[in-house]
Amino acid sequence: MSRVSGHSIPVIAWRNLWRNRRRTLLTLSSITFGVFLSVMFTAMQDRNWSDMIDLAAKLGGGHVTISHLEYRETPSLKKSISDASPLAQAALRQTSVARVVQRISGPVMLNTASESYGASFIAYDPAQEDASTLSFLDSDALLAGRMFANDNEKGIILGYKLAENLNAELDNRIVYTMTDKNGDIVSGLARLIGTIKTGAPNLDARLSLLPLSTVREIVAYDSDEVTQLAVFIEDQRDSEAVAMLLDSVIGTQNLAVLPWNISQPDLAAFIALKLGGTRFMSAFIALLVTAGIFNTLFVSVMERMREFGILMAIGFTPLKLFSLVMMESLWLALVGLLGAALLTTGPYLYLASTGIDTSAILADQGSMDVAGVAMSTTLKVGIFPESLAVIAIAAIIATLLAGFYPAWRAGTVEPVDAIKLV
Amino acid sequence: MGETIIDLQNVTRVYQQGDVGVQALRGVSLQFESGEFCALCGPSGSGKTTLLNLIGALDIPTSGRVTLEGHDLSQLNRRQLSHLRRDRIGFVFQAYNLIPVLTAYENAELVLSVQGVGDTERREKVMSLLQAVGLDGKEDRFPRELSGGEQQRVAIARALASDPAVILADEPTANVDSDTAKLLLDLMQALNEQHAATFIFSTHDERVIERAKRIIRMVDGQIDNISFPGGGS
Repeated sequence: MSRVSGHSIPVIAWRNLWRNRRRTLLTLSSITFGVFLSVMFTAMQDRNWSDMIDLAAKLGGGHVTISHLEYRETPSLKKSISDASPLAQAALRQTSVARVVQRISGPVMLNTASESYGASFIAYDPAQEDASTLSFLDSDALLAGRMFANDNEKGIILGYKLAENLNAELDNRIVYTMTDKNGDIVSGLARLIGTIKTGAPNLDARLSLLPLSTVREIVAYDSDEVTQLAVFIEDQRDSEAVAMLLDSVIGTQNLAVLPWNISQPDLAAFIALKLGGTRFMSAFIALLVTAGIFNTLFVSVMERMREFGILMAIGFTPLKLFSLVMMESLWLALVGLLGAALLTTGPYLYLASTGIDTSAILADQGSMDVAGVAMSTTLKVGIFPESLAVIAIAAIIATLLAGFYPAWRAGTVEPVDAIKLV
Repeated sequence: MGETIIDLQNVTRVYQQGDVGVQALRGVSLQFESGEFCALCGPSGSGKTTLLNLIGALDIPTSGRVTLEGHDLSQLNRRQLSHLRRDRIGFVFQAYNLIPVLTAYENAELVLSVQGVGDTERREKVMSLLQAVGLDGKEDRFPRELSGGEQQRVAIARALASDPAVILADEPTANVDSDTAKLLLDLMQALNEQHAATFIFSTHDERVIERAKRIIRMVDGQIDNISFPGGGS
């Protein structure tokens, strides 16, 4: 048997914890389950929103968008960036920046022999971009035909619903009309070479893709002129910091450097709302768990008032008695967290790698999109280390707070009164 | 006998029970010297336990002054009182009052541990005390695994561990059988003689009273009579 050492408070606290095994186990299970729920909810949110933000970045403007100062308010091909390559190179020199791509985007009118539709276009360089910068360049997104082979071919790719609306089939001729750099209406002729399914219904019905050089020529842009530089970074959470950094490095009076949450405010508002809900739920769980721990510790302290009186009589100071009960709280928190780690690891690893396919549940809706961004039907989890740290620290603080009043009661016991208690 | 270590001057203690004040001690003046083996006796409610609580710095007088080794107890704060109890006073309670989650060894060691005494010194002292009280070989047993007499012996070892100036025992033989009571009294008497430890008992037990070198009889919160069976003064 190990004997209590000179610094006996942790050992006595640990043994006290197991005097009423059933009560302690019940309290520990509430901590464990509360932390488990918080971790899983947070992990779903962290992964879900992070994937969504990355996907939103890959559906258009990147994590950080560099454009003409007025382009966001009044999108027009007149509002361009004329020296895109030096800016892109300067941005790429920043360590947090993974990729920078050049694009022209704007409104376009599409005409086939039978139909006309207003749509939007993104003109990109197929040599510069892939599915990691434009999600619908993934081969899975291609419903029919092919993607662009080079930067100056005379082809067009349409969202599959837009193609249906235009009654356009592969190899059909499509006239696209837009306003050029000088404000003149210009047109181009292209053959439909492919149709794509982005997963976002509004994009499938409105999006067209064109080769970058071809569009530059039609809209009278210089060889290094674009409407947008899309900047991609490793971790979407750094978007605002990177935007500020880039603004300080390459910003001019005519350039706007915007993180995704500014350039896509609908998505940002939706995520903020959902995160608020999750935090409220976590706080509610924490409150319930804290109340349970308080109850356990308070009852435990009230049952031991005589014993505290004895300890006081033999020389424990009020602070030492306070520390003893606080140590019991800390043990509860630490063992509860250990239990939570054991309970959470298995389900977390499964959900992080395999996930749960919710497509059957969502079958009626076909697909889900939020602010134009398609959400995956496979529910996966992935928690940020700092989120995990916040949950662990919050659990410890909540447990210590729950123990504070019982500990104070123990520390203020009057030995002469307590010893009389039977 | 040695020097005076406890001095009570005109001590009163009034407990408030609702609107009524109950006078537990009425102007008690008394001195105790080091090495005493003294019994406080008297009927229930005569003020024995109240007097022990005041001497033991567990309670403060309503008026008057209690001094332990020159320290006026009413002038000390809670922390200082805790330290005084830890270092200079040992308690033996009627109901043993061991800490149930600690073994016999750990209970006896607790005060030394709180004092911050080093490992080796602590171990030697506790083992020697447990041997002295006849619990050699039972040091790793928890209180629930010990008999009433054995628990009381652990309590005595705990009380003696810090070499206190005085050991206060409240009805120490009340919950044990005759044989055990005799063993405990033999033990305390031996410790009193060998360690020159001052023992003050509150008791109804004639066996304790018979062995006391001074008997203080109390009635209604006052000292009724003081006698020295051994013939001292």
